[in-house]
Amino acid sequence: MSRAARLMAVRASLAILEGSAGRPTLPFGDRRVDDRLPGGGLPLGRWHEAAGEGMGIETAAAASAFVAALATPLAARGEVVWIMRRDDLYAPGLAGLGFPAERLIQVCVRDETAALAALEDALGAAGVVAAIGEAESPDLVAGRRLQLACERHGATGFLIHRRLFGGETRGKGSAAATRWRIASAPSEPAPGEPGLGAPRWRVSLEHCRGGRPGDWIMEKSNGPLPLRVVAELGDRQLDAPQPWRRLAG
Amino acid sequence: MATERGVRRLAAVDAGAATLGLFVGQKATDAVALAPELVVADADPEADAQALRALADWCARFSPAVAMDPPDSLFLDVTGVDHLWGGEAAMMDDFVERLAKGGLPVRAAVAGSPGAAWALAHFGPDRTVASDAEPLRPLPVAALRLSPADAAQIARLGLRSIGALAALPRDQLGRRFGPDVMRRLDQALGRGGEALAFRRPPNPWFARAAFAEPISVPEDLARACGDIVERLCARLEAEGRGARRFDLAFHRLDGAAERLTVGLALPGRDLAAVTRLFLPLLERIDPGFGIDAVTLGAREVETRALSQTDLHAEQVGRESLAPLVDRLTNRLGEAAVWRAEAFPSHAPERATKRRPPLSPPTSVGWDAARPRPLRLFRRPEPVEVVAPVPDDPPVLFRWRGTAHRVRRAEGPERLGEEWWRRPFDRADPQKARDYYQVEDETGARFWLFRAGLYDAANPPKWWLHGLFG
Repeated sequence: MSRAARLMAVRASLAILEGSAGRPTLPFGDRRVDDRLPGGGLPLGRWHEAAGEGMGIETAAAASAFVAALATPLAARGEVVWIMRRDDLYAPGLAGLGFPAERLIQVCVRDETAALAALEDALGAAGVVAAIGEAESPDLVAGRRLQLACERHGATGFLIHRRLFGGETRGKGSAAATRWRIASAPSEPAPGEPGLGAPRWRVSLEHCRGGRPGDWIMEKSNGPLPLRVVAELGDRQLDAPQPWRRLAG
Repeated sequence: MATERGVRRLAAVDAGAATLGLFVGQKATDAVALAPELVVADADPEADAQALRALADWCARFSPAVAMDPPDSLFLDVTGVDHLWGGEAAMMDDFVERLAKGGLPVRAAVAGSPGAAWALAHFGPDRTVASDAEPLRPLPVAALRLSPADAAQIARLGLRSIGALAALPRDQLGRRFGPDVMRRLDQALGRGGEALAFRRPPNPWFARAAFAEPISVPEDLARACGDIVERLCARLEAEGRGARRFDLAFHRLDGAAERLTVGLALPGRDLAAVTRLFLPLLERIDPGFGIDAVTLGAREVETRALSQTDLHAEQVGRESLAPLVDRLTNRLGEAAVWRAEAFPSHAPERATKRRPPLSPPTSVGWDAARPRPLRLFRRPEPVEVVAPVPDDPPVLFRWRGTAHRVRRAEGPERLGEEWWRRPFDRADPQKARDYYQVEDETGARFWLFRAGLYDAANPPKWWLHGLFG
C-alpha cells in the first residue's frame, strides 16, 4: 500500500469516527482550501464561527460579507434567517454582494441570550437552510445546543462574533465545526480599470474539526462560486520567524 | 295599523297616503272613509326592529360607530370618517342615495350632537348640515325627544319653538318643566353629553368557559387555556377556517380581565401550535383572588383548506416556515421579525421597508449597479477629512480617532433631496450629498459623503454613512 493510499484510509476511518463521513459539504471550488476541510468543503449541517479583527469586532462588516458570500449558494435551497442585536444590516448591500435578499428573514433581538435562543430556534425549524447570528462566543453547552438544532433538519449555522461596543471578544467557542477570522484586504482592480476592484478578504481558518488551519486571500467572484481564492498565504506555523537559524542555514 | 285601547289606528303611513291627508294615530275607520282604496297591514314591531338592526349593520360601511334609536332612527358617529367622502354633506348625499336606490326613503342630518341631528332629521329641512345650534331654533318643541306629557305642557304655555324655550331663563325652565326637559334641551343644543350605545357586530368566533370554583394556580390556568383553545379550534376546523389572532381573556372575581393576544403569520387552527404560543405568556397573568371565567376570541378568520393539498413549493415553504415566524414574532414582537424589500426612494436610509416575513412580496429589488454598503449606520457619523481638491474624494480621514489613508476611491454618486418633499424651486442644493466608496490601506471599505456643495468660505462636512464588507 502506497503512502498516499494509507493516508486516505486513515482519513476515512477518522471521518467515520467523527461522524462526518458522507455529510454534505459546500466546496470552495479550490483545492488549496478544500483539501484542508474535512470532506472537501465547508461541512453543512454544522455551525461555524466567524470573527473580525480590530474595528471589525464591533462592526462585523468583513465577517458578515464573508458569511453572506458563503450562504449565497445555500439560499437557493431555502430561507436564511439573520439574527442581530443592532439592525444595521442593509439589504441593498447584501443584494450587491449577490445574496438574494428576498430569501432573508431578519430578526432583531435585545440581548445575547435572546440572540442565541433565536439562532437555535431558527436552526431547528423546517424550511430554514441557514441561520446567521451575531453574538459573542457561546459557552460549550450553548454551542452543543446549536449543534443539536443543526442536526434536526440539516441547517447550517453561522455565528458572527460581534461586540456592539467594542473590545475583545471573550472566550473561544470550541463546539463549532470551523472558526474563521476575516479581515479586509486591499483590492486589485483589473489592469486598466479605474476605481475599486472586487472586495478581498484575508481569510484565516483558525480551527477546523477534522481539517487543518490555513490562510488565504479570497475575493468576491461573480461566477457560480461566490468566492475565489487569490493566494494562499504561508502556513503560520512554519512561517513563524526564527531568523538566526535561517541565517545560519 | 296597530290596535290601541280597542281602537284600530294607523301606526305608519307612506308618502302616498300622507298626501291624501292621512296621519299617524288616525282611526282606521276614519282613514278608510277618507280614502276607500287604502291598503292596510298589521304593524309588526318585531320585524321593524329586526330591519333596523340589519340597517345598522349595513351602516357599518359608513362608520364603525352606529347606534340604534328604535323605532326608526339610527345615529352614525362620523367624526374622522367624513373626509373619506370629501366632507359631511357629500357623505350624507351618498348615504341617502344608496338607501333611496334600495327603495328606502330616509331623512338625514349632520350636526354636532346626537340630539341636534335627531331634531333636524325629524323636523328640519332634509339633509341639513348644521355647524351650530342656529337651525334648531325654529323647530317645534317635539323635536326635543320629549315625553308626550311634557311636550303637551310646553305647547299649552304657547312655546312653539325650541328657540322660544331656550330663551327662557334656566332656573325657571328647570322649576317649571323638570330636569328631563332641561336635559333634552341641553343635548339638542350640544351643551350636555349623551351616551350612545354603539352596535358592534358580535364576533362569531368566540368561546367561553366558566368555573364553579375560581382558579388561580398556574397549572389550572394552563389547563383552562388548553381546553378553551381546543373548543374554538375544533369549531374552526369543522368549518374549514383559520384565524390569525387569538385573544384570550381571564376574567377575575373582582371584575378585571387579564388579556393575552397571540398572532399567527398564516391563518391557523392547530390546537398544539396555538396553545404553545399562549403557554409562555401565562406567567404574565395575575389571577388576583381567582379567575372564574375564560373567554377566547378569534380575529381575522379566513377560509383555510382542510389539509395541505397545494404542492406548490412556495406554498409548502411558507407553511413550514410559519411556526418559526410565529414563535419569534410572539416572543420578540411584531416589529422584530421582517423581510426587507425595496422602497422607491433614492435616499439610502429610506430605500428599504419592512414587510412581515410571510406576506407576499410587493416590489422588485434594488439597482445592483449602485454600490451600497452592507452595514448602514442609523445616523451618519462625522469624520474629519483631508481633501485637497474640492470635488475629489479625501486622501485621509479620521473616524472614531483612527486615521485611514485612502488608497482607492470610486464616486461621486450625487443623491439629492427627495424632490417630492418640497416644491422644486425651493429645493436646497446644500441638502445634496456626494457619496464616495473609498478603500483604505488595509482594504476596509467605507461609504463617505460630503454634505452640500463645495464652498470656499464654509468647508463642507463629511460623514461616514456605512461600511462595505
